[in-house]
Amino acid sequence: MPQKVQCTITQVIDHGERVYSVFLKPDSLAPRFRPGQFLHFALDPYTPGDFWPESRVFSIASSPEDRSLLRITYAVKGQFTTRMESEIEVGHQVWVKLPYGEFMISPERDACLLAGGTGMTAFTAFLAGLRAEYPRNVHLFYGARCPELLIFRPLVEEARQRCLRLHALYLVEQGSDSIAYIPGRIDLNVVWKSFPDPLVARYYLAGPPEMLRILKSGLLQRTVSPSCIITDEWE
Amino acid sequence: MQRDAQLRADILELVREYYQERFANREFRPGVDLVHYAGRVFDAQELVNLVDSSLDFFLTANRYSESFEADFADFFGLSNSLLVNSGSSANLVAITSLTSPQLGDRRLRPGDEVITVAAGFPTTVTPMIQNQLVPVFVDVNLGDYTAIPSMVEEAISPKTRAIIMAHTMGVPFDLDTVMRLARAHDLWVIEDNCDALGSRYHGKLTGTFGDLATVSFYPAHHVTMGEGGAVITASDMLGRITRSIRDWGRDCYCAGGENNTCGKRFSQQFGTLPFGYDHKYVYSHIGYNLKVTDMQAAVGLAQLGKLEEFIARRKANFEKIYDMLKPYIEQLLLPHPTPYSDPSWFGFVITVRKESSFTRNDLTRFLEANRIETRNLFAGNLLRHPAFMNIEHRVVGDLTNTDIITERTFFIGVYPGIDDTQLDYLGSVFARFMQGERVS
Repeated sequence: MPQKVQCTITQVIDHGERVYSVFLKPDSLAPRFRPGQFLHFALDPYTPGDFWPESRVFSIASSPEDRSLLRITYAVKGQFTTRMESEIEVGHQVWVKLPYGEFMISPERDACLLAGGTGMTAFTAFLAGLRAEYPRNVHLFYGARCPELLIFRPLVEEARQRCLRLHALYLVEQGSDSIAYIPGRIDLNVVWKSFPDPLVARYYLAGPPEMLRILKSGLLQRTVSPSCIITDEWE
Repeated sequence: MQRDAQLRADILELVREYYQERFANREFRPGVDLVHYAGRVFDAQELVNLVDSSLDFFLTANRYSESFEADFADFFGLSNSLLVNSGSSANLVAITSLTSPQLGDRRLRPGDEVITVAAGFPTTVTPMIQNQLVPVFVDVNLGDYTAIPSMVEEAISPKTRAIIMAHTMGVPFDLDTVMRLARAHDLWVIEDNCDALGSRYHGKLTGTFGDLATVSFYPAHHVTMGEGGAVITASDMLGRITRSIRDWGRDCYCAGGENNTCGKRFSQQFGTLPFGYDHKYVYSHIGYNLKVTDMQAAVGLAQLGKLEEFIARRKANFEKIYDMLKPYIEQLLLPHPTPYSDPSWFGFVITVRKESSFTRNDLTRFLEANRIETRNLFAGNLLRHPAFMNIEHRVVGDLTNTDIITERTFFIGVYPGIDDTQLDYLGSVFARFMQGERVS
């Protein structure tokens, strides 16, 4: 059930390249949410019973199993995130409302997760809860500008230790010659070579709008059913 | 403190004083004051919440509704709770939701059959008729007043798509049988839990077994907000559909006064509308407006804090009345729970036995004359009412017990407003009747 919750900012991590993670401690336990859901984050004051102020949506990057600490990760891209960059400080109180959204990974089919940059946060709660007995294969393609911005790589590796059905490939656009990374952006040619039957999987896409547009169009051209292409899109 | 906050605090303190003057410490006067069959039980907190929400002057659903829905879902351990303006509306929303095109082949369609009972409250059944579904009636047991399980099984036909029944008067129907049949025949189950908030079956709360459940917050019910009800479900998809049906049928799930909650208000394609048509005005269902105000939810939230205490008091009152009336079991059939159930009783249901030397009306007239409220078991046999006589329906077996209920059954209150003094008085009035005293 969506609820408005006042939170205290307990930590801000500067990942570089104007990408940040913000940790929020709710004054009361956050409502239950599911992996893949998002919250609205407001910078301006809110008085309960009054109108909700301007806010922006962010995937809840933290696990639903710990509702005492919420994490969001954002890249500075517009006016609101510019304000976030300049105004957010540890100890500040902010309001969030959550949970919303239906970007949930179904265990009915193998899943192919295509995550670009901070879009990865749409999958982190799912991966944090992934257990050995998960009934399907999960193929993750996680791309970022540089290796340092593969912020959630440790979480992915932990999940791989627990669940052998999780397969992950990392892609970086620049800054590495390591064989641990495939150079470039997420490319469907790479995806198609990476697992045996890509047409039976369901595709979950989260990342910048341009990435979503290109990949969605490419998947449709490769005759993936529209019902098997799920995008985490916001304005 | 800012002046508006100080004024609000002063007003709410005055409300507490008002409660003390107007409502607190009212003493029961036997034979003068009514022993109600049900009613609102409250303290200063309900009035404080009510005035507090009115001072917000948001009017439509807001912080109190949000808190109530969250706490109510938590009570059941479910992920979805939707406030509506009555228990009847809750049934309308729940049943209409099962006709949603978003459910694909599983959606209910006109002519589909729904197994139910005729002995109950009409608005368990009316949404079936409003949705052009065909109710299939089965008889009920006397004593627990719930569907006869073997008849439910017998009622299943190739057209059966759902089982929708009430936990009548707080008594859980045979959920083992119903859920087994639902699984075997791929049927939807809606629990009308309006009378049964807090009842348990195998230790689990009723309302958590079926696909959807409904609750009423009318003053006669376990907790109240005046007018109000709720639909609960574990299914996020059904939760989203119920919200749409409640809120004019719209696709958008923004709360009142909010915008772009989905984050894609102007960037979606719906039907043949222009791309990016404002999501707030996109309609995916033929819906209603059945929302509550925040003032109602404010009262309900205070009530919810008292629910466990209310349930305990209902059970204790039931036990005491049962003990008082046990000597009369030759004349009166007393209520009993179904196997594996622990009812949060709505009322104390009595059927006057055929062999008795008096009729139901002899007894209820005597009770009413002595200021003890009685009520029939709602509509009795629905099919004998003018509105229902010509509806399309099917009856499986006969409705013998349902007709007995229509003629010989009534109930008295067990609600938490009845204290030991009232119970003692009630016992004495029954004793006088059983000793032969009658209304002249």
